[in-house]
Amino acid sequence: MTSEPLNTIPPGEPVVFTQPLYLSPGEDLVGYISDLAGRFILFMITCASVLAVLLIFGFVIREAVPFITKHGVIDFLTSTSWFPQAEGAKAEFGGLALITGTLYVTIAALFISVPLGLLAAVFLSDIAPFKVRQICKPIIEILAAIPSVAYGFFAVMVLAPWMQKHLGFTTGTNALNASIILSIMALPTIISVAEDSLSAVGRDIREASYSLGATRAETTIKIVIPAAHSGIIAGVVLGMMRAIGETMVVWMASGNASQIPHPWWDLSQSIRTMTATIAGELGETPRDSDHYHALFAVGLLLLVFTFVLNMVSEFFLARFKRRREVTR
Amino acid sequence: MSMMLRKITDKSFTGLAGFSVVLIIMALAVVLGPMIWIGATAVVFKGTVEFRELQYDLHQRGDRGRLKSETSEVEKVRKKIYAQIDQFKRGIDTESLVAESRKKYREYKIFLKSQNLPDEQCDKLEDNAKEIRNTLADVYDSTDKDTIIKTLDELFAAYPAKQFEHTPVAEMLAAAHDYQTVARTIDLSNREKYAESLAEVQERLTKLLGPRPGEDKPALIMEQYGATRWDVAQKQLKMILWIEDWEETEPGKPMTKKLTPRSNQFAGTTLESFFKNLETDLPNLLKPQREFYWQYFIDDSTEGYYYGGVGPEIIGTLLFTVMGMLFAVPIGIISASYLVEYAGDNIIVRTIRICVNTLAGVPSIVFGLFGLVFFVKVLMPALGYESKPCILTGSMTLAILILPVIIRASEEAIRSVPLTYKEASLALGAGKFRTLVKVTLPAALPGILTGIILSLSRAAGETAPLLFAGAIAVGPIPESILEPSRVLSYGSYDIAVGDRYASMVPHKQFGMVVTLIMLVLCLNIVAFVIRSRVSRNLRGQ
Repeated sequence: MTSEPLNTIPPGEPVVFTQPLYLSPGEDLVGYISDLAGRFILFMITCASVLAVLLIFGFVIREAVPFITKHGVIDFLTSTSWFPQAEGAKAEFGGLALITGTLYVTIAALFISVPLGLLAAVFLSDIAPFKVRQICKPIIEILAAIPSVAYGFFAVMVLAPWMQKHLGFTTGTNALNASIILSIMALPTIISVAEDSLSAVGRDIREASYSLGATRAETTIKIVIPAAHSGIIAGVVLGMMRAIGETMVVWMASGNASQIPHPWWDLSQSIRTMTATIAGELGETPRDSDHYHALFAVGLLLLVFTFVLNMVSEFFLARFKRRREVTR
Repeated sequence: MSMMLRKITDKSFTGLAGFSVVLIIMALAVVLGPMIWIGATAVVFKGTVEFRELQYDLHQRGDRGRLKSETSEVEKVRKKIYAQIDQFKRGIDTESLVAESRKKYREYKIFLKSQNLPDEQCDKLEDNAKEIRNTLADVYDSTDKDTIIKTLDELFAAYPAKQFEHTPVAEMLAAAHDYQTVARTIDLSNREKYAESLAEVQERLTKLLGPRPGEDKPALIMEQYGATRWDVAQKQLKMILWIEDWEETEPGKPMTKKLTPRSNQFAGTTLESFFKNLETDLPNLLKPQREFYWQYFIDDSTEGYYYGGVGPEIIGTLLFTVMGMLFAVPIGIISASYLVEYAGDNIIVRTIRICVNTLAGVPSIVFGLFGLVFFVKVLMPALGYESKPCILTGSMTLAILILPVIIRASEEAIRSVPLTYKEASLALGAGKFRTLVKVTLPAALPGILTGIILSLSRAAGETAPLLFAGAIAVGPIPESILEPSRVLSYGSYDIAVGDRYASMVPHKQFGMVVTLIMLVLCLNIVAFVIRSRVSRNLRGQ
């Protein structure tokens, strides 16, 4: 039997399809079911991240609950005496100094990084020529790529001795040191999100402003930044999250003294943050002791902080996206 | 507002914005510059003969013959230095001198017996030696300089050393001669003070040149060799030449460092010139030579990071990250494909997206907590293994950490595949799944790869999640993935803050962290190159 080539269509004649182009589920049951099953499997795998989030919250809460039921939340949030290693009932778990420590370095870092980052974003989106931008953006990305432990290393090995020598501080590892490094680390996040939202503001708006005789500074400050404000706020919140969640830098550079600086504006004193407390103490804590559960309570607090901030940034980003769609 | 003022504000605004970028780039240079500069000296430096000896002893690296000739040359110069110290020591340490003269006297008696001399001559010689011994014992006990010198002169005149050539008595007399030379120059009542200072000089000299030949080998490798690097040698030399003191200049102010030359302690003595000789002879003592120690990246380190490299740390980092990738990459790519290709815009998909974003925002230390309570405490026992932190738990923790990064990057890559590709595939009769696997994913692959490499670099730099889930600072090289391992990131922390010995070897501290930075930057550069190539291809179409 000679094999005839398949699908040969005689020239000049209309093509006749012997099979329907689209099979209904009834006609191709196997295909239909396998498609559904494949889709379901993909969906299940996609749910892994949901599962991960649920597990993280679940397990951290599970380990924190014994502490909360035993010591209560009020004391944890209002007392500043953190003496977890004391014997038995003498142990105190007042986390206020840790919370203020985290807020201290975060806010101080934002004071440096927000103006700097916003100006840099304006420069990159509105001022710099294309070539300069092509060079500057990767350099700023390098800042984000450097591991946090390397920043911490710099803080403790280079910046701390320098501060002690030239600024006359009693200790080089202090709130100011940690804040400076954190601000450098938060910069790339703030710049990239802010720059995205600045360039998303349409050319038409800028040109309208220029045509009314406004200078570039006036256009940027009075028109573009207000138009992009929700994106910028989202960027700042994301930068803030990075600063709050950062562990290695604050552990190495902040001095780890559980105290609220006195006077309150004195950044040259050592402080201690929530993340550094967990990192520094959990390794030496016996499993399932009070101290161990207290550290998980600190972790839970951190988780709640970042979750709320994440929601805030989501809100602003969504608003920003909506506005952009409306203007287009 | 006048036009002029507005223009000035505009210009200054532009300047300020440009300045802020310059400031940021400067910050990067300030952060990276000094670290890389010092870190590079862990690999490229001037190595001394001690370094080459260490390399040969531990790894059989280098040329045996050349090393031998080098050490013998060095030994010659060192002998002079040691002789100077020994001579001075003789003038100080009278107790051992007395003991030595007694010993030599006994040796001499045995020597005489072996010579088979006539009894009379023998007795006479023995009496002479006894006389010398007794005189010397008196001299060593005395603290009156003039008497000592005078008595010794008389003794040398009465018994010329020639008479006792090649006998233990000659050595006894030589020691006495040294003693006389030293005694001329020092204040004899201050012997103890001299002895104390000399002991310190000797201790520091051991750090510079290593233990003397013939001495017992110390147990720790870090004490078996002198200064292996020229910069360390110079630091040690400075410690020998100068005494460091902290003194308070004004009350309430931080103390200031004050340096006084150590040779002042030995002013007027025979040892005074020793310090100058040591300084001028140092190159001959150590023979510095430029080394390129590339084995830094494969060697294990000795105790306290003192010698050696970061090999196990690099391997550990790669193990953790690559294994983390094995978990995270399949899940990440599948999730991204589903989210882009299949999912509509309903409440479930929105929840998934919120979860991915939440996961991206969770602080890294919380991942560490989670790794401890879930992977170490729950999952490992459930799988039938011992509940302890290990590479497996650490890499799973890292996998969760980078999952959102991979999902976002892959999503973006898949989304950027032109719609025409998919439409062409669908028009040919391929199903949705086949289109995804055969057309969309291959087209998106470079973009996905970029994301994977970037998350690899992120995972390599993370420390906090591994703190309780598998990283250790010191320990053996792991034999299986069920053991903890050293990593660059945690090592960088430990070497900077935790380890006491490491502060003596700053090049090792900076070397570790620069290795980590270089690893991460290389990955980023690779990702950057792929990305720019992809964007060029897309533009070309």
